[in-house]
Amino acid sequence: MLPWTGVPPRAWTSALLLIAGVGGLALAVSLAFGNTGVNIATLALLQVAAVLALAAFSGNSGIVSFGHSAFMGIGAYVFGVLAMPRDIQASALPNLPQWLQGHQLSLVAALLVVVAVGLVAGILSGFPLARLSTGSAAIGTLAFLIIIHVTLIGARDFTRGSQTFYGVPRLTTVYVAFVAAALFILIARILKETPLGLRLRAARENEVAAAASGVDVRLSRRKGWAVSIAMSVLVGALYGSFLGAFSPKDFYFDLIFTLVAMLIVGGMLTVSGAVAGTVLLAGVVQILRQAETGIDFGSFHIPGIFGLPQLGMGLALLLTIWRRPLGLLGLREIGPDWPRRKLEPMPAKALHTAPAGAPLEVANITMRFGGLVALDDISFSVPCRQVTGLIGPNGAGKTTLINIICGQTRPTLGRIVIGGADMTGEAPHRVAVAGLGRTFQNIRLFDRMTALENVTIAALSKSHDAATARRIALAELARLGLAGRAEDLAGSFAYGDRRRLEIARALALEPKFLLLDEPAAGMNPAETDALIRVLESIRSEHEIGLLVVEHDMRLIMRLSDRMVVLNKGQKIAEGTPQEIRGDPKVIEAYIGTKRSRH
Amino acid sequence: MDIVLQQIVNAISLGGIYALLALGLAVVFSIVSLINFAHGELMTVAGYGMFFAAAVSLPFPFAVCAAVLFAVIAALLTERFAFRPMRKADATGLLLTSFAVSAILRVIFQNGISARPKPVPLPSGFAGVIDLGVLHVGIVPLLSIVMTALSLVALTLFLNRTTLGKAMRAAAEDFQVLRLMGIKANRVIAVAFAVSGALAGIAAVLWIAQRGSVDPLMGFVPVLKAFVAAVIGGLGSLTGAVAGGFALGILEVLFQAFLPDAALPFRDAFVLGFVILILIWRPDGLIPAPAARRS
Repeated sequence: MLPWTGVPPRAWTSALLLIAGVGGLALAVSLAFGNTGVNIATLALLQVAAVLALAAFSGNSGIVSFGHSAFMGIGAYVFGVLAMPRDIQASALPNLPQWLQGHQLSLVAALLVVVAVGLVAGILSGFPLARLSTGSAAIGTLAFLIIIHVTLIGARDFTRGSQTFYGVPRLTTVYVAFVAAALFILIARILKETPLGLRLRAARENEVAAAASGVDVRLSRRKGWAVSIAMSVLVGALYGSFLGAFSPKDFYFDLIFTLVAMLIVGGMLTVSGAVAGTVLLAGVVQILRQAETGIDFGSFHIPGIFGLPQLGMGLALLLTIWRRPLGLLGLREIGPDWPRRKLEPMPAKALHTAPAGAPLEVANITMRFGGLVALDDISFSVPCRQVTGLIGPNGAGKTTLINIICGQTRPTLGRIVIGGADMTGEAPHRVAVAGLGRTFQNIRLFDRMTALENVTIAALSKSHDAATARRIALAELARLGLAGRAEDLAGSFAYGDRRRLEIARALALEPKFLLLDEPAAGMNPAETDALIRVLESIRSEHEIGLLVVEHDMRLIMRLSDRMVVLNKGQKIAEGTPQEIRGDPKVIEAYIGTKRSRH
Repeated sequence: MDIVLQQIVNAISLGGIYALLALGLAVVFSIVSLINFAHGELMTVAGYGMFFAAAVSLPFPFAVCAAVLFAVIAALLTERFAFRPMRKADATGLLLTSFAVSAILRVIFQNGISARPKPVPLPSGFAGVIDLGVLHVGIVPLLSIVMTALSLVALTLFLNRTTLGKAMRAAAEDFQVLRLMGIKANRVIAVAFAVSGALAGIAAVLWIAQRGSVDPLMGFVPVLKAFVAAVIGGLGSLTGAVAGGFALGILEVLFQAFLPDAALPFRDAFVLGFVILILIWRPDGLIPAPAARRS
């Protein structure tokens, strides 16, 4: 399966429009300003490519990277060593090891090696990075920036240290730069729509919900990072070949500041935004650079301000975050919003044909936090095709138990078995794929993605190809009555629709069990009735076991086949709703007795 | 024996500066989730405070006060005019705001004062060495250790004994609840920035005591290190920041002392590589910040 199958046609058109726009501007500048113009256009095209390399990771994952400029440096130096003419190399780098001497590779050959180096660098550096939380990861990229910078300065035999590295053949013409920019626009735009892009964006919007939809967040981030770094290293090589002579500081803080400012001003959530921001700031910087030395109006002289381009970019960045936090273009890609080729929803019959199997078992779960026993030897099972209700007053341990079942917390003792497989302590995305779909008490959707994308992500976790996943997603949306809103952003949905979208997403995992965490919270009686109807239809149509955690007694009594009651970390009752209703222990826990009221 | 003790003193004095800076970052981060890139510029402002104080021939203790005062004022100004308007932005937006503020301040220093280093005269006694039996300790490292210790004690007392300090610790745990208790958010945040500025000011004094000059980029390197320290310790955790600062200082001194000469230019790469290993082992840092994670 090719990575671009299932990419909507509007992605291709918007990419082609951007390429045409960028090419047209480059041509206009080249024609208008002669040789200087060609230089300006080449630099701007390289900046477009560099910003898109950054956007491939940062835009999709939401983690701003400060390390990309240093990886560009790696590309520039590797390219320089490989492509440098033999005689210059002998004088510039006399201590170069034998195996690197005298290759004098052509542009294409050198770039191929550079991309390979970039992939290796990206894969290796991605491992530690993907483990960090979003804020720490940004600082982690900063650590990469420093490590690479220090290494480039230290590795004198390869790089001439902080001295100028010269003699790099200038092979990056304006045409080469345009090809790079065009290619990267295409890659970045398509990547966004591939399963990898969808998963990265889902994790950006809500990491916990992404994992609960079966997304291996770390793996996705590692892949996205590797692609993005390989792109950066490649464009770094071209940038080095454009400069001809450079030193490590050319790939340090000023460069990444420029790239990040360009990305943010245009808007990092879209490829169109990244390109627009780059073009805009490249123009502004050119003008400010002219003004940096001061301007003469006849006899009147305005003194220059050193660092004017930095000042301009800083102000542009502030203004953007203040007034348009999503950037100039916000969430929209440019181009006509063509409807995608109609796909038929998967027929309901083909869904969920797995035979009724083993139950979900909670076996002797004990959880201690220090001295506090939050859960004490809890056991019960959730059979297929039944609704199990879990209730308990505040502080009973319901949330802790849910977190353990879903793999967010590892229990001190005990096991969680899902459909016969021991899933104790497995990561949430594995638990999800193993057959547990869930919704959240405070709804967690991927707000800045469409309803269809929300549900498709979950369907993709069952290793369907993109087209099948989308058909399954359409079928689930239709089942929950949301078919007409497939292309709307989830963030624009009203409360009741958000609940239903979340259920649709959970069902697209084709789960054996569905965990609903307070599904009626915040609903009025009419909405609650509608929800009960939905849940009853799910139960009759799916071979699925439901575990419902709820405060709303009316709902849970009506829906449940069996109920489990927790209080203060202990299971105090289990049985049918009728049995529970009359159980004195349950009444005591909820209402209290005279004796327990001190 | 002598050398080992010597290195321990170096590690503690260097780690102390990182700890103060990382603590300043953590105080702000724990309350408003801002990773403040402009923290380094607060150091630079403090440095210029010392420079101006010396220029009008104020005695050294006043120069130190001027440094701290300048940094506190600068911290409050950036909070009021850059970060407060952006309060609705997410963590990434705030980070980028500080990134821009830092760049703008640097350009202002370069044009408004000078791109070149400005000398800061230090008392002549600073070059001296104190003999403690086997140990010859420079005045500056010793002062660093003393100042760091005093600052940490003062901050601990402030956080534990005063109402404002308690409010700040509560804010770090759960800001929303604190607001519900009727504490004014703006005041707590402003105090957090002021504390962070004061810590940056003290760190700047200690940093300048080692080099005797101030330039527009002075705060850049130490604050990069402080970021790393804050992440090793656990982003947003106050005790973690102190632990991370000392851990980083110790690592740097260790690598400086024990790396072979050929590898010395790569010292920072080795240190940060080691830091990455620490983070692979503990992604949330040595002493993670309390995070209420309810699903």
